[in-house]
Amino acid sequence: MPISAVEPAMRTGAGPGAAPVLEVTGLAAGYGKIAVLHEVSLRIMPGEVVALLGPNGAGKTTLLRAVSGLLPLSGGEVRFAGQDMRGAGPREAARAGLVHVIEGHRVFTQISVADNLLLAGYDLPRAERAQRIEEALEYFPEIAAKRQDRGGALSGGQQQMLVVAQGLVRRPRLMMLDEPSAGLSPVLVDRVLGVVAALREKGTSVLLVEQLIEKALAVSDRVYAMVQGRIALEAAADEPDLPLRLERSYFGGESPLHLHG
Amino acid sequence: MAAIDDAMPVAAGAAPSRPRLLALLWPFAALLALALLLPLTGNEYWALIATRACIYWVLVSGLNLIVGFAGQLAIGYVSLLTVGAYTASVLAAGNLLEPLHPALALAAAALLGAVFGVVVGLPALRLRTFYFAMTTLGFATIVTQVALAWQDVTGGGIGITGPSLPAPFDTAWGFYYLCLALAALCTWITGNIARSRFGRALVTLRDAEVAAEASGIAKPWLLVLVFLLAGALAGFAGGLFATLQTYITPDAFTFDLSLLFFIAVLIGGRGSILGPLLGTLLLTLLPEVAAPLAAWSTFLYAALLLVIVLAIPGGIASLIDPRNRRKLPENRAVIPRPELLPALLGQQPRHAGLTLRDIVLAFGGVRAIDGLDLDLRPGEVHGLIGPNGSGKTTTLNVISGYYRPETGGMTCDGSPLPAGDAVGRAARGIARTFQTPRVVGEASVLENVMVGATIEGRAGFLEALLSLPRQRREERMLEDRARQALQAVGLGALADIRADRLQHSELRFMEIARALMLRPAFLMLDEPAAGLSTDEIKRLDQLIRGVSRQGIGVLLVEHHADLIFEICDRITVLNLGKVLAAGTPEEIRSHKEVVSAYLGG
Amino acid sequence: MLASILASGLAVGAIYALIGITYNTMFATSRVMSFTAGQLGMLGGVLGSLFALRLGLPILLALPLTLAACALVGVVTEYVAVRPVLKSLDQHLYVLSTLALALMIQQVTALTWSTEPQPFPRLLGIGEGIWDEKYWLPVLACAATIIGLEYLYRRTLVGRAFLAVAEDNFAARALGLPERNLRIASYALAGAIGALAGFAGGQLLLAFFANGPLLNFYGFVPVALGGLGNNRGAVIGGLLLGLFQQAANFLVGGIFSSVAVFALFIIVLLAVPQGMFGAPAARRV
Repeated sequence: MPISAVEPAMRTGAGPGAAPVLEVTGLAAGYGKIAVLHEVSLRIMPGEVVALLGPNGAGKTTLLRAVSGLLPLSGGEVRFAGQDMRGAGPREAARAGLVHVIEGHRVFTQISVADNLLLAGYDLPRAERAQRIEEALEYFPEIAAKRQDRGGALSGGQQQMLVVAQGLVRRPRLMMLDEPSAGLSPVLVDRVLGVVAALREKGTSVLLVEQLIEKALAVSDRVYAMVQGRIALEAAADEPDLPLRLERSYFGGESPLHLHG
Repeated sequence: MAAIDDAMPVAAGAAPSRPRLLALLWPFAALLALALLLPLTGNEYWALIATRACIYWVLVSGLNLIVGFAGQLAIGYVSLLTVGAYTASVLAAGNLLEPLHPALALAAAALLGAVFGVVVGLPALRLRTFYFAMTTLGFATIVTQVALAWQDVTGGGIGITGPSLPAPFDTAWGFYYLCLALAALCTWITGNIARSRFGRALVTLRDAEVAAEASGIAKPWLLVLVFLLAGALAGFAGGLFATLQTYITPDAFTFDLSLLFFIAVLIGGRGSILGPLLGTLLLTLLPEVAAPLAAWSTFLYAALLLVIVLAIPGGIASLIDPRNRRKLPENRAVIPRPELLPALLGQQPRHAGLTLRDIVLAFGGVRAIDGLDLDLRPGEVHGLIGPNGSGKTTTLNVISGYYRPETGGMTCDGSPLPAGDAVGRAARGIARTFQTPRVVGEASVLENVMVGATIEGRAGFLEALLSLPRQRREERMLEDRARQALQAVGLGALADIRADRLQHSELRFMEIARALMLRPAFLMLDEPAAGLSTDEIKRLDQLIRGVSRQGIGVLLVEHHADLIFEICDRITVLNLGKVLAAGTPEEIRSHKEVVSAYLGG
Repeated sequence: MLASILASGLAVGAIYALIGITYNTMFATSRVMSFTAGQLGMLGGVLGSLFALRLGLPILLALPLTLAACALVGVVTEYVAVRPVLKSLDQHLYVLSTLALALMIQQVTALTWSTEPQPFPRLLGIGEGIWDEKYWLPVLACAATIIGLEYLYRRTLVGRAFLAVAEDNFAARALGLPERNLRIASYALAGAIGALAGFAGGQLLLAFFANGPLLNFYGFVPVALGGLGNNRGAVIGGLLLGLFQQAANFLVGGIFSSVAVFALFIIVLLAVPQGMFGAPAARRV
């Protein structure tokens, strides 16, 4: 989706399809005295895959936590599907269809793969859980075969698939993935990011935090870059000079880094 | 019950101005004056109450160092009072040996109190606070059981007579004056400890243990010294208590009493002498003026404890602390003055540098560092960059001894640097700051910074206890240097403010000042620019350059690429625990793999 | 003599183990070691005696009432002493807040019940000598608790949610698990387990307000030795502690058995700080 998605005409939300699924305005958040995010604004349209890039410590993870209610906001607004999410916790967010898959494939190691998925559907009616789990496992046949194994027995890549599957159990409208590729081999990275593409097919929006820029761009419609707690750049994922612009926004204007020199 | 002279030695470089000293001491002087005038009432019942308050304070003053300063929750300290009381009584009565002179019996009580103080405290040296709380509680139940069951010696439930002191201490007022003098002495010596490097080290261990270790403070021996002192005071107080009661049974040492001591410290507030003193007086006097409530007194103490914990964790001390009221300069900015650094740091002597060779460190099978080589040279700023999880902070923690690598070696100035041993790094001239500032919020900025040079102190615990000349000289020297360091980093105006009132960016500069106190050969900065504004980063830049000009090697872990490329002489890029590239900023800039790794391409 | 050491040792050991499980159940969802654990055991005895003896209710009514009342005390603990300090940076505050609440419970019991040990009724009237019910009831209660907990943790979704919260609180929260409700539920459960310990051991310990601190300490020893949060360690540690204590009682007499337990506790703690069955080490830097 080109950059027109954020043009003012669209922002007013003229048609039903045009209303953003997530709209973050002037968001500020941090840990205790440490303010990490300053005046962050972004929006994600239904069915859109948006990559959130930026150097270490830019505040990407913090932004995701603030949006999903894991971290209290100190200012600004988060609207999800038209609903004000201020004061909502992760449980309310997940119920509304805003799912956050946190970084570091933190599965529950002491219980089985199937139980890990059951827990993701804790709030769902009992009858529906089994069906949702099968639905989620369809994306990952390699862990479907291991559903009786303990979460701790899976490899890192399989654990990452499991946490993504946990998110899918919720049938999210927007899925936020925090560095799903970290620590995975290139093949597994493609597997996990392949799911992002599949989700887009089904009309699910994705907000993807990634270190692997090229791979992230390949599955995304649009890109935000964060630097020092602010959005430094917004662009369509297929803009030709994007790598150069990213580089400039990371390293600051005065000392441009010469990528090919 | 107070101390005279320098109970609170305000060890100021420029001698403390008279009003400031007065402001600190007048409450103690007023209490002492009141206490001295008490016999004018001629009421012996009051003598009893006041003597009891003095005896309690002898115990609480020591307990205060454990609970209020070291932050160790000793909830069963009545056990040491029991040990002291029975030791003094049994020895004076001659149930076990030949009868001893009461004074010797009291000394023995102090000695045994010190021994058991350490035994009960042993778990605190290695384990979390809850274990220590439990061992003191367990010891308290056991001591009472033993006192009940060991009938031949303790008299069991029937009890035993306490020691009786010779004239002039055999009258109510005579004994009162003795106890008052001892209480004043305890105020003075514990105040001395509180205001010495030992006291600062204790609160740093309590609130920022990692920073204490990096400053070269060894927890075990410091805690053992304090347990010895507090145990001796408690045992001695026990002997006095038995003398006052004239007859003791196990019933006299209820857990309620333990609670009274403990709560007196907490009501008073952590890290204060005056607060717990007032707390002790309050809790001793309360049952006297509110007799109808006597049955409910323990319940009220407990309720009070809950209210303090939930509502005013700082206790009385935080309400009367002038550092809380002093106004902060408005629109203040941290303006470092690198020109002051030469005077503070001097020029580092020639140094062979710090080397790491083939370091491997794995966490649960994942190699966080995988064959790392690093050379840190004096006078250079060395940047360490790389993506998240590439092993930057881990490397810092290996150098500063928090992590023990599986293989590989380190040398500092040519001689091997042992793996582990975080406490020994300060002595090797290695100082550091932390990603999240590790500070003592309740202490002043000045005190926080003074901790950095703790290992330079030569005066021992006894010298500090009595505030002998060498101790005072060292304190003056430390304070002078700390003020210098604060001015150099741009926090001179905030020296006397409580650290928890500072902004996050100011705490970062304060940590640098603390590290500079050591006059280190190497300074390691873990993301010093995180959370700083653009202007502040520029000033940090100036400060770091100034530091390296004095011959100090700086290792800089940072995300702010502009700062790294601006000031580093060399840069090492890590990826997945390995060195991806190393060289000058120019070389790194044009290194294709680095660019893609850094950008994550 | 050996038989009576075994009978009484296993009986008190089972009580200590149950108090240890009470600690662990609260610890699992909150990382808080609560001083109310021992008081819950004390209340189990006092309330049991109140309902079954003073009010003369049948056992089948007295037991559930006791468990329910203590579950309520557990919930109150969570609200009053745990939740307010969870967010605090100073993690030691919970030691003080739960201690304060424990003492308030103890003091109210002393003032409204009695300061003297009160008799606890025979519940079933089965067995005599070393097979007296007062010896095997605690063991039975301990076994029933273990089986019940195993069922809960392995067969029910709520139980697995407890395990999830215990293992990784943050991930559980991110997944949308009702972490706060689970914590309250675990405190209620801990209350019932502590009450069961006091109720089943009532004939041994009597209904005495001052049992709390004793149970606090002797229930904590197996937890410390077995590793925080490790129920298996707590049960093994509890039974061993009971046997050791009773053996020492018979062999060297009452005074020194408690001294021996205390010495053993300190020595083992210093030798194996994380407990003999291990507990996860905390990351410091």
